[in-house]
Amino acid sequence: MAVDEKIIREIIDEVMKNLSVKDKPISKSEKTEPISLGTLNIQEIGIAKKGIRSDEVVIGVAPAFAKYQNKTIIHLPHDKVLREIIAGIEEEGLKTRIVRVNRTSDVAFIGLEAAKLSGSGIGIGIQSKGTAIIHQKDLQPLSNLELFPQAPVLTLDVYRAIGKNAAKYAKGESPNPVPTINDQMARPKYQALAALLHIKETEHVDLNGKSEELKVEF
Amino acid sequence: MNQEKMIEEVVRQVMMSMKNDSDKEIFKESENKSSGVEIDAKKDYPLATKCPELVKTPTNRKLEEITLNNVLNGDIKSTDVRISPETLELQAKVAEGVNRDAFAKNLRRASELTVISDERILEIYNALRPNRSTKQELLDIANELEEKYNATINSNFVREAAEVYEKRNMLRKD
Amino acid sequence: MKRSKRFQILEQRDVNKDGFVKEWPEVGLIAMNSPSDPEPSIKIENGKVVELDGKKREDFDMIDLFIADYAINLDNALEVIEIDSTEIARKIVDVNIPREEIIKFTTAMTPAKMVDVVSKMNVVEMMMAVQKMRARKTPSNQCHVTNVKDNPVQIAADAAEAALRGFDEMETTVAVVRYAPFNALALLVGSQVGRSGVLTQCAVEEATELELGMRGLTCYAETVSVYGTERVFVDGDDTPWSKAFLASAYASRGLKMRFTSGTGAEVLMGNAEGKSMLYLEAKCIYITRGAGVQGLQNGSISCIGVPGSVPSGIRAVLAENLITTMLDLEVASGNDQTFSHSPMRRTARTLMQMLPGTDFIFSGYSAVPNYDNMFAGSNFDASDFDDYNIIQRDLKVDGGLQPVTEEEVVAIRNKAAKAIQAVFEGLGLPTVTDEEVEAATYANGSKDMPERNMVEDIKAAEEMMNRGITGVDVVKALYKNGFEDIAERVLNMLKQRVSGDYLHTSAILDSDYNVISAVNNCNDYMGPGTGYRMSEERWDQIKDIRNAKSPEDFE
Repeated sequence: MAVDEKIIREIIDEVMKNLSVKDKPISKSEKTEPISLGTLNIQEIGIAKKGIRSDEVVIGVAPAFAKYQNKTIIHLPHDKVLREIIAGIEEEGLKTRIVRVNRTSDVAFIGLEAAKLSGSGIGIGIQSKGTAIIHQKDLQPLSNLELFPQAPVLTLDVYRAIGKNAAKYAKGESPNPVPTINDQMARPKYQALAALLHIKETEHVDLNGKSEELKVEF
Repeated sequence: MNQEKMIEEVVRQVMMSMKNDSDKEIFKESENKSSGVEIDAKKDYPLATKCPELVKTPTNRKLEEITLNNVLNGDIKSTDVRISPETLELQAKVAEGVNRDAFAKNLRRASELTVISDERILEIYNALRPNRSTKQELLDIANELEEKYNATINSNFVREAAEVYEKRNMLRKD
Repeated sequence: MKRSKRFQILEQRDVNKDGFVKEWPEVGLIAMNSPSDPEPSIKIENGKVVELDGKKREDFDMIDLFIADYAINLDNALEVIEIDSTEIARKIVDVNIPREEIIKFTTAMTPAKMVDVVSKMNVVEMMMAVQKMRARKTPSNQCHVTNVKDNPVQIAADAAEAALRGFDEMETTVAVVRYAPFNALALLVGSQVGRSGVLTQCAVEEATELELGMRGLTCYAETVSVYGTERVFVDGDDTPWSKAFLASAYASRGLKMRFTSGTGAEVLMGNAEGKSMLYLEAKCIYITRGAGVQGLQNGSISCIGVPGSVPSGIRAVLAENLITTMLDLEVASGNDQTFSHSPMRRTARTLMQMLPGTDFIFSGYSAVPNYDNMFAGSNFDASDFDDYNIIQRDLKVDGGLQPVTEEEVVAIRNKAAKAIQAVFEGLGLPTVTDEEVEAATYANGSKDMPERNMVEDIKAAEEMMNRGITGVDVVKALYKNGFEDIAERVLNMLKQRVSGDYLHTSAILDSDYNVISAVNNCNDYMGPGTGYRMSEERWDQIKDIRNAKSPEDFE
């Protein structure tokens, strides 16, 4: 996909509008109502609790994920991304819980929060622009099991592999890391856009906000 | 990890922490011998070539003793290949000699930290990161630095951090 | 509309694959001079700063506090703030005023004043200023040595070749974090095979990076990031106090270190408070000085796509390098990340540092093909070696590298691969096969390497740390497995941390381990005939490209 000035300008316009008019969720409904996104239904069902099942992986999504934004930097719809990660986890026979982390938009801290809430101690963090991480509860925030810093190279296949590997860590296995894809031209093409998307996400951070449990139906 | 390996691991870690303790004794012996030495940054630097006689390891070994032979015969160990507080003080004087006062201050803080084990240094660093510690935990570290290691500059620095973190809402919320 | 054929051709040019945006000051998407940047001011009462750049002490956040209390030389502060910024800028480019005179002024300025001064200069003036203000007289260069599979044999071979090509410092990082001990080890051994005295580091999470240094598996550290707004600093999981403590922790082990920062980081991390990128970067540079750290890697670094997309952004990147030198710090000046598809833009961006010379022109020239560069690609990579050497030759500029022959490169790569094979054997790490040694000897990148068992490697790397393996064990393993000369070299690198001479500003080592720093190699530039001038031997080295024909070739 080519990101040209036109797209970036559109995004700027959109964000500018957001600055004056307060953001509305995609569904234009109240917070407690389910949000429809493609075939996805997301409902916030209260404060997230620490899990007790050792066979679960928690996915932590960023404040704007599938709520104020609906696709990654390369336009993968958030519902499809979630579905792939969950499918990867299920392939390994494990359960998924999804939480929205509200107090930070930083992928490492989101991943760590998910890991801390996870009964297995393994969590996945994902930002609206698509950047993802596999984290473990006792690691330093900016350390990780696997980090996928370049959102523009993350395809649906990669998201499934991320889910699968996270589940393997949760089972105590040592999987081969998801093969690293490196596109050295992603920066010149996408970085300014990434900044804009991240600014949009960060506007929804509530520093004292608790993480919320999400009920997701496809 | 199987059990045998685990036991081996635990023993090794305990041995290592014991070694650190015995290092501390040696450190104390060699403290503050260099404070009277005058240093001219232009004439005496680099110390290793211009005045190697002033450089000693914390275990009181000379620079010239660190040779391949001594490493191979076990006479020089990794604990011998370290900088001493005295050498850091000399380097702080070199820094002041070229008007780098902030850098000299860093070297003096470092001089106080030489006696603290790698492990504890890492723990204190992590405790100083945002939202990691309560105010009391930071003050306890400050007291430890002062009382156990005689590290007064660092102790005050940690106390100051505790105040700033409190004011700026960066203490751990349980 | 009927399309113009010329516009259609232009659209296909590399430069039009780059992303550009218009300035957006409200969120800080502006390189210099944001309307929200403060006016310079300073008030001092009883030796304490009570107002800084328009903000009262009671309103200071942690960054303002740290800068006010640690980073400004208060002796001259009240005097300097009154001097017209244009006049100060003129003094800086005046070849008759020596660097040390300028430093007395510049270290007493507030961040806003500093930004105001550099904004009076055009890029040629900034280059003149960098030529005069950089701390070390002799310019130098640093490279990245990484690969997408974290293959240690390839790292060792690439490091050896890079040393031969002239890099004085080398940095590695990981594709997979848990590989870090192996990458550090392979870089240490490989670099010393290439040339004695090369300094190496491994960029990973702060605490891990410190541990590798303490173990003697690296020689210095660089990826110790600081940020210009409080919110982003906390997202970076640190404070000025934790970072200053970390700096002292490194020095307490006799390890050299520098901080890292760069324009665009705060806007990229979503909290720029509407300030310009350069103003926020200036605050990072002050924090570095306040922490008492000898130097800084900056020049936007991994955020270069952000200043690169706005007007005057690449000028701002040069300005941040300049400010670093004006605060008397070592500067490792970026050029280390892809920022454009266009070879012309890439070159123009690098000339800003290459022509005046800096302490490290690149803080990561990719010594591997960019597809293997785990910093997500550098501005120049292994395929640009000949271009770079020929630019040095064209302009008679010392960019830190020199031409090499294929024979010597093949030989040194082979030796490095065998050395790491020996170390792995000696330390009981997973076997390095002869096939891997052969492949690494002739490889361009990881596509030419056989697969390794990554799971086994990762386990072994973790065990190696748990077993407490140190640099001294590496020395022994090298010696006992037939690499006495490299054992000696690695030991000499460890020895540097005993004397601490290389802790000082802008220190590098020559091949006899002599420290060359801004203490014994001060920049004394005062116009033509002064400062760094290439020696005849050095010029002969740079001139000698393999594809230059001599008259005898046509006989």
